[in-house]
Amino acid sequence: MAVLDGSEIRRAPAGDADDPADGLPGHAGIGAVVSGDDSWFDVGGVALAGDGVPDVGWPEFAAAVEVAMSSRDPASAIADVVGRTGGHYSFVALSRDGILAAARDPGGSLPLEVGSMGFDMGAVASESAALEVMGFEHVGPIRPGEVLVMDPLAVERATAIPRDGSRCSFEYVYNARHDSVMDGMSVYAVRERIGELLAEEAPADADVVVGIPETSLPVAAGYSRRSGIPMALGFVSSVGRVRTAGLQSALDRIAGVQLKLNVIGSSVDGRDVVLVDDSVVRGTTLRNVVWNMRRKGARMIHVRIGSPQLTGDCPLRRVPPRDELISSNLSEDEIAAVVGADSIRFLSSDGLRAALGADGFCTMCWRDRP
Amino acid sequence: MKLTIMGIGGGSRENAIAEALASSSRDVRIFWISENANPGIRSAVERTGGEYAIADTTDVEAVARLARSWRIELAVVGPEEPLFRGVADELDRLGIAVVGARKELAVLEMSKAAMRRIQWSHGIPGRLLFRAYRSYADAIADIEAQPDAPTWTQNVVLKPARQAGGKGVKVIEDRQAYLHGEKAAFKVKHAEWLDGYVAGYGDLGERILVEEKVWGPEYTVQCISDGHSVRCFPPVQDNKHAFDFGMGPETGGMGSYSSGRLLPFLTGAEYDRSVEIVTSMVKAIEAETGLRYVGFVAGQMMLTEVEGPTLIEMYARLGDPEGVNAMASMVTDPVDLLESAIEGRLDGLRMEFSDDATVVEALAPRGYPEYRDLAAGHPVSVDREALSREGCRIYWGSVHEEGGSVVTRGSRAAEILATGADPPGASARANRCAGAVSLADGWRLMHRNDIASADMISRAVRTAERVRALYRYRAERGILGRRLDWIPGRGLVDPADDIMREVTAL
Repeated sequence: MAVLDGSEIRRAPAGDADDPADGLPGHAGIGAVVSGDDSWFDVGGVALAGDGVPDVGWPEFAAAVEVAMSSRDPASAIADVVGRTGGHYSFVALSRDGILAAARDPGGSLPLEVGSMGFDMGAVASESAALEVMGFEHVGPIRPGEVLVMDPLAVERATAIPRDGSRCSFEYVYNARHDSVMDGMSVYAVRERIGELLAEEAPADADVVVGIPETSLPVAAGYSRRSGIPMALGFVSSVGRVRTAGLQSALDRIAGVQLKLNVIGSSVDGRDVVLVDDSVVRGTTLRNVVWNMRRKGARMIHVRIGSPQLTGDCPLRRVPPRDELISSNLSEDEIAAVVGADSIRFLSSDGLRAALGADGFCTMCWRDRP
Repeated sequence: MKLTIMGIGGGSRENAIAEALASSSRDVRIFWISENANPGIRSAVERTGGEYAIADTTDVEAVARLARSWRIELAVVGPEEPLFRGVADELDRLGIAVVGARKELAVLEMSKAAMRRIQWSHGIPGRLLFRAYRSYADAIADIEAQPDAPTWTQNVVLKPARQAGGKGVKVIEDRQAYLHGEKAAFKVKHAEWLDGYVAGYGDLGERILVEEKVWGPEYTVQCISDGHSVRCFPPVQDNKHAFDFGMGPETGGMGSYSSGRLLPFLTGAEYDRSVEIVTSMVKAIEAETGLRYVGFVAGQMMLTEVEGPTLIEMYARLGDPEGVNAMASMVTDPVDLLESAIEGRLDGLRMEFSDDATVVEALAPRGYPEYRDLAAGHPVSVDREALSREGCRIYWGSVHEEGGSVVTRGSRAAEILATGADPPGASARANRCAGAVSLADGWRLMHRNDIASADMISRAVRTAERVRALYRYRAERGILGRRLDWIPGRGLVDPADDIMREVTAL
């Protein structure tokens, strides 16, 4: 994180993010958890944390933001920068003059939400859950192409001309916490609808539905409700929430982490199981989970995935390249054989669109399938 | 014979009152006193052939002298400070009929602690748990005695115990879990600041008020009292935060809206109960003082889960900007209204209001509210054509006219009024009109873009529905207004009983 300490911006090690009282002398600060160090930029008097990628690249973009922040009307100047920059990105930036700026690209690829606190100023975060747990009142989204500037004197907004919507659908499928609301849409509700549509598209004859924590739990709940098959808790995680630095590396890491998902034997012993997961990258996690369930007595295992097959064409580079994705290379039957399941079915891309219930989403990472 | 009416105060609210009086069908001459040369008031005064004087409106002698020299028959006081200083009392003594509370009655606004005590001791509903302290040291001693304190003291609002121009309110909540360490220190720091701030006025023993934190949509119920009955205007929703998204420091009010008889988030029963609360408060202070309350009075209300309609603060005046909404929506002749009030005939007056929505947006120079020296001294320019094209009105506030130019004085410089069939439509017009006013030196004139927007209204409706469900749940179970707490060693406690004991022991 970076904090404004008097007139200097000080970069603090990530560990300090747990104790803001230590670094915030009543001024301003920004922090990034997901982006990792590759999206941190210190340009002159500005520290910037970005997510996604502007088409000109972050260093050039950050330099333009720095110039805009020191102009007479920072909100409009940043809106100009955002308006002429393509790509898919969002950012928060902090200047030495105590100006905090946040913006989304004109397609609104990545979410930013705003929180207010009493008669103090406010906060911006990529998810509403982050605002709420810190005691802010979640008051609404920054709109696609919108710039929000807070300084000691005022809060100002300006908007670049919006482009066609390219809101990241992966946020709703996998990325966000399901207690978050982004662009007015509840992540939990989207995941539950995904589960319901999955039950309609890919029914299964089974005794119990279990979801892989955390993301897939609402999907399993939706599947259970629509299919009438009772839901049970299938796992206890020994590592808490899986959400660490750098999503791409998180996807690598998740396989290892989810090995620590311990199966609750009595939920699956002697039963036919619908096993629900949010997405499949390499299939490693799934294979481990399936075999662990079989060792605890599961009979038939029907895997249901709450998103279409991944193709690897993510403009945000959040999804690994095509050759690392099992679903780009193998058929459903072949994947089922690899992971050891009796069947595996993915949600259709139409199903995903229906679950999102709105237009303007980027679905480039999903395979379109009739 | 023309009726001579004198107004006091130089803000947008007073500009709206002056304009309404000058547009009356009655034959009147309008006179005015304010500390700044307000171009809107000047124009209203000149149209009726009256006079306009620049003077200290809290200087009782000076106001009385002007009133006598102008042979004033009816006076109306806009802001609260002249009332606190006894301007109404002095005019009354001189035999000039005045719409404005006497000093002892204006205590309802001046002392937030006295207001709360009167509410409790008269058993008036819609009240909050509170504690008042004479000093910072007292407050600290109490705050530090946390282990035995009832739970409500963890989630509090710290306020100046005196009306201090809409400044100094801080909300401190326990759910700021991650900021916990700073919270206690923050309470202490703010209490210290308040201590000094209120001491500056030097007219109240109690300086710091601690109230339980409540949550819900806010609205203002403005009324006029004639000493016998209290008649009220349609409710108005004001927005105290300086900036969009309800962010930033507390201000006098950055924008307000009304939408006919009720607000979109308020039921008729809630409005009626709010009127009852304000009326009961007026009756209670009349009983305490033995005086007739003749003047404007308002309740800044909130729907809360523990009490339903709840009194947050009181005004001994119209709100600002809410007073602009009140004047805009009133169809009844304003001179008839004031005359009925001083003659005790309000009960028989037909009070008529338009069904139109009214939206008021305040325009304040960058720097307001916390850095007023930065906000002062900027010349204002107005595109009159754009305003009339959109059908907006402008009411001047904290500005001073000199040598043909209008210069900001550091607070809200003007308010824009737009009316229309529905609030979002009027809001969009008000936003366009706000763009027609700017500062000629390039300094930024700020306004909120979200006043009465569809988003703001739907959020208020949603919040109100949640709060309503909660207070109705309490009402159905007979626990409306009850707060149960378990304190180790004391057992089951209703902290309201403690407050009642303290209030009745006085």
